[in-house]
This record gives sequence, C-alpha cells and structure tokens, in this order.
Amino acid sequence: MPALVLAGLAFLAPGVEAAKVKGKVANFMELENPVWAEAKEPKNRGYSFREPVPTVPSKFRKLFPHIPKELCVALIAKSVQKPPKPILIRVGGGRTTPVSIVVPPGTQFTFQNTDPFVHQLYGVGIPTFNPANTVRGGTRDWTVPKAGSYEIRDKRAPSLRMWIVAESNVAAIAYPNLKGEFLLDAKEAGDYEIQAYFSGKKVGPATPVSVGPRDLTIKDDIKVAPDPKKEKAKDDEDEKAKDKENK
Amino acid sequence: MLASRFWYVVLALVLGASIFVLLLATSMYNRAGLRAMDEGLSSDSQVVSWYLKNDARERSAQLIKFALNQDIAKQLSKASAAEGKIPSDVRDKLLDALKKVNSRIPEEDAFDAVFAVDQNGRVVAHLGYEQASGMEDFELGGYPVVADALHGYIRDDTLQLDRLYRVVARPVEYDLGSMPAGAVIGARVIDQKFARTLSQRTGAAVAFYMDGASTVSAAPEGFDKSQLDQINSDLTEALLDENYISVGRSPARTLGGNVRVVYSQLPGEAGQLGAGYVVGRLPAQVDSPLAFFKQADDKDKAQANVGLVAGAVAVAAFLGLIFSFLEHTRPINTFKNECIKLAKGEIDQLTPSKFRGIFRKIASDVNDGIDQVVSKGGGSPRRAADLGRVLGDIPDQPVMSAFSFPGDSGATPEPSSPGAAPEPSRPKPKPKAPLAETQGSAPSPTASSSAAAPLPGAAPAPGAAPGPGAAPGPHAAPSPPKRLPKPPGRPGGASAPNAAPAPEPSPAAAGGEPSEAEEWRQVYEDFVATKQQCGEKTEGFTYEKFEQTLKKTREALMSRHQCSRVKFSVYVKDGKAALKASPIKD
Repeated sequence: MPALVLAGLAFLAPGVEAAKVKGKVANFMELENPVWAEAKEPKNRGYSFREPVPTVPSKFRKLFPHIPKELCVALIAKSVQKPPKPILIRVGGGRTTPVSIVVPPGTQFTFQNTDPFVHQLYGVGIPTFNPANTVRGGTRDWTVPKAGSYEIRDKRAPSLRMWIVAESNVAAIAYPNLKGEFLLDAKEAGDYEIQAYFSGKKVGPATPVSVGPRDLTIKDDIKVAPDPKKEKAKDDEDEKAKDKENK
Repeated sequence: MLASRFWYVVLALVLGASIFVLLLATSMYNRAGLRAMDEGLSSDSQVVSWYLKNDARERSAQLIKFALNQDIAKQLSKASAAEGKIPSDVRDKLLDALKKVNSRIPEEDAFDAVFAVDQNGRVVAHLGYEQASGMEDFELGGYPVVADALHGYIRDDTLQLDRLYRVVARPVEYDLGSMPAGAVIGARVIDQKFARTLSQRTGAAVAFYMDGASTVSAAPEGFDKSQLDQINSDLTEALLDENYISVGRSPARTLGGNVRVVYSQLPGEAGQLGAGYVVGRLPAQVDSPLAFFKQADDKDKAQANVGLVAGAVAVAAFLGLIFSFLEHTRPINTFKNECIKLAKGEIDQLTPSKFRGIFRKIASDVNDGIDQVVSKGGGSPRRAADLGRVLGDIPDQPVMSAFSFPGDSGATPEPSSPGAAPEPSRPKPKPKAPLAETQGSAPSPTASSSAAAPLPGAAPAPGAAPGPGAAPGPHAAPSPPKRLPKPPGRPGGASAPNAAPAPEPSPAAAGGEPSEAEEWRQVYEDFVATKQQCGEKTEGFTYEKFEQTLKKTREALMSRHQCSRVKFSVYVKDGKAALKASPIKD
C-alpha cells in the first residue's frame, strides 16, 4: 500500500486539504498482457517448449497483468489539469515501470535505463521520439505533446512496451497492489470519475465519485473486466440460441 | 582392314561415350551432391534445433532442484510480500540457498547464471551475472519467459542482453493452491564453449549471430570454422529472405562459392531481434571428371571393380591386336614373303589370289608392271650390268651389253644358240622370247657351244675345215676345241684389230677345263668378233679393259649369288653384241 501511495504522490503533489479515495479493482485476472499473450503463440517462435506446471492452480496459469505496474487507475476531474513535475520511468527487466500511465498533455517523462545493457527506446508513430541508445544508468526525456494514446517500444527488447495516455483532466493516478487495492489522492474536493487504464485503453466502467474533505472508500469493486462466470453463462445461452435457430 | 577400322570407330565411340558419361556423371554428382548437401544442411539445422530444445528441457529439469528447495521458496514468498524494499536478509538467505542448490547441478547441465525472481519480477538473488551486482532494483519480470514462470509455466527462451543467453524458467511454489511465490531462471551463455559442445554433439558446423554479425562458431574436424565468418557479409540479405521471415529458416545459400549454409532463427525473443544460428557444409562437388580421383578415398577405390575395368581393357586391346594382326600384319607378311620369293626368282609373278584387300590389288599391279617391263624387253632392274657401265667410256662400246643370270626373267637374249655366230642379217629377237636363263634349262654358252651348229658365216668350229670365204682367225687353227663359241671371223679374213694374240694352249686345252684367263680371252675374242659381225666399231676396245670389267662383274655376282665362279658368254641382242654372265655353283 505505501507503494501505491507513493505512486500517486509522485504524480500529483497532495494539497493541504487533500482527501484520499480508496478502492479496489476486480476481475483484473481476466485481463491479458498483450505482450505475453503474443509471446505464447507458437507461430511467433518465442520458445521451443512451454508446459504448464500442474501444481499451480489453473486460475493462476493465465497471463493476467502485473497490475501494480500495468493497471493505471486515474482520477478524472471535470476540468483540465496542469502537467505535473517530470515523471521518472524506469526501464529494465524487459519492461518499463510503470507499463501504463495516464497524464495530462505536456507532462515530461524521464526514461532511465536500469539494466546493465543498452536500450533503444522509441515511440511508435511518434516523430519526436525516435530510436536512440540509452546506456546503463542513462536517461532520456520526452514530453507528451498532446492528448492521445502513445506507445513506447524498445528496439532491443521486443517485450518492452509502454502505453502513455494523455488525458487533459486527469487529476491523480494510482496503481493497485496484487490484491487490486488502490489509493488515490484528490487534490481538491469535487466530482470526479475513476477510470482504469490498461495497455493504453480504458478498462472497466468509469466510476463517479464525489470527493469531500474526508477520505472516501468506494464500496463496490471496480470491475476492469467482465465477470468470468457470467461471461461463461452468457456464452452458453448464446450457444443454445444458435442451436434453436438451427433446428 | 574393315574390322580394324570398325574397331577404331567402336573405340572412338566408346571413348566419346565414356567422356560424355563422365561429364554427365559429374553433373549428376554435383546436382545430387548439392541436393544431398541441402538436405544435410536442413537436417543439421533441425538437429541443432532439437539439441537446443533438448538441452533446454534437461536444464529445466535441473531447475526443479531450485524450485523444490524450501529455503528458496520461503525467501521468495517473503520477498513477494514485501511491496517496498526487499529485506537484505531475505536476499542473503536466498543467495545462500541458490549457491547450495547450484553446487549440486552436474557440470554438463550447469548454468552460467541463476536468478530468483519474486512475484513482482524483481531479482531477489542471482548467481553468475556479475553485471547486475549491486543493482537492487534489477528485475526481469517483463520478459515473457519470466512472466510465464510466474504464471505457472515452464518454458525456454533466448534472450539477447549483453550477449545471447539460452534461458529456462519455472515457477517456485511455496503455498500450494496459491500463486507461485516466484520463479527461478537459469541462463546459459551462448559462447564458444556452448558452440563447441553443440558442434561436437550434433556433428554440425555451427555459428551463432546477433546484431548482424557472427558471435561464436564451432565446426567438426575437417571444416574450417573461419569460413562461417563469411556470414557477416551475407546476413543482411539472408535475414530478409521470405522463408526466413515466415518459417524461421532460410533456404540453403552459398557463401563465397565454397560453403553452403542455412540460417535459422533462434527460438525466443532473441530470434525476433535477428539473432540465430547458421549451419554450414562444404560442397561435395567436382570441377571435372578427373577430380573424382582426388575426392575418392581408399574405400571408394576399393569398391571400384578394377577387375572388370582391366578385363574390358584387356578384351579391347586383344581384339584390337587380333584385328591388327589379321588385317595388317599377316597380309603384309604374306605379301612380304611372296615378294621375297619373287625377288629370289622362286616365282615369276605374285599370285593375287593369295592376298586380300589392297594387297591383292598391289600384287595385280606388280604383275602388270612386270609384264610391262618384260614387254619392253626387260627393265633396268633386271639387268645385272650394262655394257656401258662395264666397259666405261670407250668410244666404241657396245650399244647393249647385258649380263643375264639364271632365274632372271627380264631382259634376256633370244634363245639363240650362244655358240652360234651372230647373224647380222638375222631379224631382231622377239621381246618375249623364252629366256636362256639357267644353265640347266636354257642353252647356256657352255652347254650349247659344242652342240651348236655353226651358222653360215660363223667361224669354223674347231677341227672343221674353214668354209669358203671364212677367214681363218689367228687362233682358229691352234685353238683347241672350246665350249665357248669362237669369235666369228671377220668377213675377208680380217681379224679383230688390237686383238691380243691367242694364248698359248693351256693344260686344259689338252682335254681339261680351260683356265679363266683363257676363257675370258676367248670371250673377248668372241665378243670382238660378234661386234664386228654386227658392224660395231672395235677400235680402242682392249682386252685389259674388258678383263677388268669381267673381274668386277664376277666379283659382284659371286658376292651376290654365293657362287664359285661366273661364266661369260657372248650373244647378239637387238642386233648388237652382248655378254651374258652365268653364276655357277659347284
């Protein structure tokens, strides 16, 4: 939990009258990391063998994302927000930390290479972010030009993919822990929406919250993916309907 | 000669066919060798692929020792629970546990580096990767191989970090029924040792490449691995090959004209970055049919049917010799023998029926030639001597003075009686008249002189009364009866001028054989008389010159015919005095 708080604080400096919004995301295990999902396909020749370990429960043998880095929960204000201070992005271990982030346009990023070898980051379709080497411990800055979704990749590490969503009204962001719990810092009281982002896209519904002078706890979990059981039941109903039509 | 010529054509055809077959075999050998080599390269590539996979599986099995270690699992669980900084004691204990387990890994399956990663992907402890020493925020969680392990899968990968690494990972479970506490990752550097081991176990010449250049290579004995360095200039084009992109393996390519290679993409993330391995083989090709000798080893040579080849050569040579003997040597020998017989006078002419082919024609032509010469009265080859040569440059040499020998069928005088006096008014002898050649069969001077009746006008025979008009020669009265004809007396009784006086009667004259000098003297007188009768001039024609010529002729004939002596006689040929020499064998 302290890490989540730090993540939020790192993004926006809390005000004196700041209130905290506590919540939890659910069904995040139904999400699938696109990089890992792509790598598991045999046609991509990402391995010579890949076998499940039977002792690991099947519900864990899914390539759900590491939400403390990949699922970004944003507090969206009703008005345009100013860019925060430069944000440090660590590049290492085959990914960036965080993997997904939501910021106001004009936010500056500092990419720091924490690996003992060179990285070569570039922005997909971003003319202002061309491939360039970043040596061990080196940094590279880039500022989000305008609202939109941006993808950052590494020429030397295909698995490294980062998504930056530039949202003008984002007031705060937080990353849940492995249980899905998150804590947002609202700088000002007012009406907000809580929106989760994954792989540069919104996931789950926007949850409206009204932040007052006190801390707020969201009662219902924010479902970032459909309920697996209901999804299965729906699929079964659809199949039955098709069978009837065929008959 | 037909068979011989046919044999030459057959040999030429066989030679041509052999060359054609050799060239054809060379082309087929090269084509088959190329195809076999491409298949071999594909096989090599597959073998290397299988080796990499099998090696990864065996190493992943070694990871079980880490995964089942409770210390490792416990420390990883603690690390995963720590959302902030990982406690140092956890790192230390985990490192100790890693070292302990790693020491039990067999050397052939040992890892160059081992990492223990918590659920967050953070590297809690590691062995052998000194580059990351002191980096507390070092993590690997973003790599699919680690993510898979953290999600309950065992798999391999190839990572291109500072070098190429073959990586295997598997989850580490602490509480069954919950998410894995972490994962353990084993890495093997693809270095020279790895390449050498791979080459030794697969028998392939292999090189690894990354970033468009060869990194390490190894090859079996007999293959210069530096030849694989040529891939550096070919990689850029090879990696754009459609097959390489679609299936991860290029078709066979030729490097520098002497090495054939197949590029294969490494499995895993490194493969996506263009890293891979290449297998190579030296082409089994020959530049020319003669190169087979160089490439064939003792086993190949031992398998060649030398006996069949030797037999074919022997048969061909035997047939050629047989044909050559039958159609060349034997006819020539036959012809040669017949010619020898002809030269010796054993036969008068060649018998064409004894010959075949061209020799029959030659024999027929020779016979025709002989006939032509005979029809001309004898050709020069038939003359033993010419009087012109015999008598030198005397002014009144006989027009025709020839020696005739037994057995000669050439120019021989008319079978007139040698003892008969030449008859000036007698017509010319017929050219093809039978020849008085031998002493036994033809009237020879010695044989017929006594029996020959003197012709009108001829000198009287010894003892005979001189006829009217016959001038008694100087030696007519005293000379004893002689076998040689006396020179006829000149009409009017004139004797030959310069004629030497008749020799004294020799002992032989009394009943024995006359001496050679006497005989030659008699021949001289006869010759002079005959010349006078024929109206030829005899001035300057001395006995000394005549005698010298007879000596030379005698010696020549004796040497030629191996006879004991030579007898000379005088006769008339073509209206002129002529001499006949007859070798006599005792």
